[in-house]
Amino acid sequence: MNYIYIKFSSQTQGEKARSVLKKNGIGSRLRRNPNPNHKEGCNFALFVFGDIFRAFDIISQHGIQTMGIERFGDGK
Amino acid sequence: MIYLDNAATTFPKPAQVIAASNGAMRLYSANPGRGGHKLSAKAGEAVFACREKLAQMFSCSEERTVFTLNCTHSLNLAIKGVLKSGDHAIISSLEHNSVLRPLENMRESGIISYDVAAVEPLDEEKTVKNFEKLIRPETRMILCTHASNVFGTVLPVKKLSALCKRHKLVFALDCAQSAGILTVNMEKDGIDILCAPGHKGLFGPMGTGVLMFSKNVRIKSLVQGGTGSLSLQKSQPDIYPESLESGTVNLPGIVGLSAGLDFIKAQGGERAIHEKETYLMEILKEDLSVIGNITVFNNMHSKIYSPALSLVVDGEHSEQTAQKLDEKNIAVRAGYHCSYLAHNFCKTTRSGTVRVSPSVFNTKREVKFFAFCLNLIAKNGKI
Repeated sequence: MNYIYIKFSSQTQGEKARSVLKKNGIGSRLRRNPNPNHKEGCNFALFVFGDIFRAFDIISQHGIQTMGIERFGDGK
Repeated sequence: MIYLDNAATTFPKPAQVIAASNGAMRLYSANPGRGGHKLSAKAGEAVFACREKLAQMFSCSEERTVFTLNCTHSLNLAIKGVLKSGDHAIISSLEHNSVLRPLENMRESGIISYDVAAVEPLDEEKTVKNFEKLIRPETRMILCTHASNVFGTVLPVKKLSALCKRHKLVFALDCAQSAGILTVNMEKDGIDILCAPGHKGLFGPMGTGVLMFSKNVRIKSLVQGGTGSLSLQKSQPDIYPESLESGTVNLPGIVGLSAGLDFIKAQGGERAIHEKETYLMEILKEDLSVIGNITVFNNMHSKIYSPALSLVVDGEHSEQTAQKLDEKNIAVRAGYHCSYLAHNFCKTTRSGTVRVSPSVFNTKREVKFFAFCLNLIAKNGKI
């Protein structure tokens, strides 16, 4: 299983990003990060139903802080 | 029961508020943002939906919209999270104890100092001058009520915010009596920190409050703990709003508050609500003006005031008057309304005052019945 998502340290930032994407016609779902950094602990993953890079640009344009795009999985 | 104690908390709550809180309790009362499962995500979305509505209503960012327990909690965060050792603050002569006591506590501990500026109810310029005269080099904040919880007096917010900008001070506003009733726009009005209860003019359940602040201000956390994020960090994460919301938030309360905000919108917004309540207040003021043996404390000549009015039946303690009204199933607040400063300022410490505060749910008939009963008390000492 492979995942690609936008990572957030704050749930509120993640929800804000979800709301902004929705207004731009892009669906998404915020969940706990399935692969949290062992140094930091829990954070949040926004799974985008569509072009994640376009979504990332929209989020950045709205000044919402992210921890970048992350990939996680077994490569299969 | 004729409920005229809405300045303490609004009652009844709109049906949709009760339904929303109830629905949250029954259907998705999981811990918002803590679990990875669908219910936790749904709860997190519901909390954010309320945050987004509040941010829009008061013109603030969602990240700097913090859920608290009540307005007192918000004010404590605003005061103790901003003021540092050696700082000086200025407050008004109409402040609630939720402003006075945290400051007095810090003063007694030798951390800060503060002064009280006299409010001139019908002279905005003089009020602003009274604040300006008290500014010192170490002054950091002006904190005042938007509307007095005892008299309904509205302070000149825009002029005070302009004064703060000129002197590079933080401007904090206690909107306990104005949120949901008077239009407040943090950006346009130049407000750095806004504190509001969720359970008064915003029609949410008790146990809800909000603290909002602009990008110019940093507020340090007073309570540290779990935030659902960066859990392997020993220190409190430096992320708003989570850093100021440690522990589980009040999901049923917040969802109810969200429905309260929808109710305000459906009524036509704050302006429409204020218009309706002002209409009731004008009827009340007219009826009270012909009753002898009472003293009314209100801005009788002011165009804008929040819907609260104080009065005293001559020769009687306010608590006695309120008890007589309660016997006729009329609920009003008597005593000192948690406001040492306001009662000292208006010299009403001997009797306290009877406070009457209608809401959109009251009717002309109810207000007139109250005035009728009060007239009997003033004339005969009983109803």
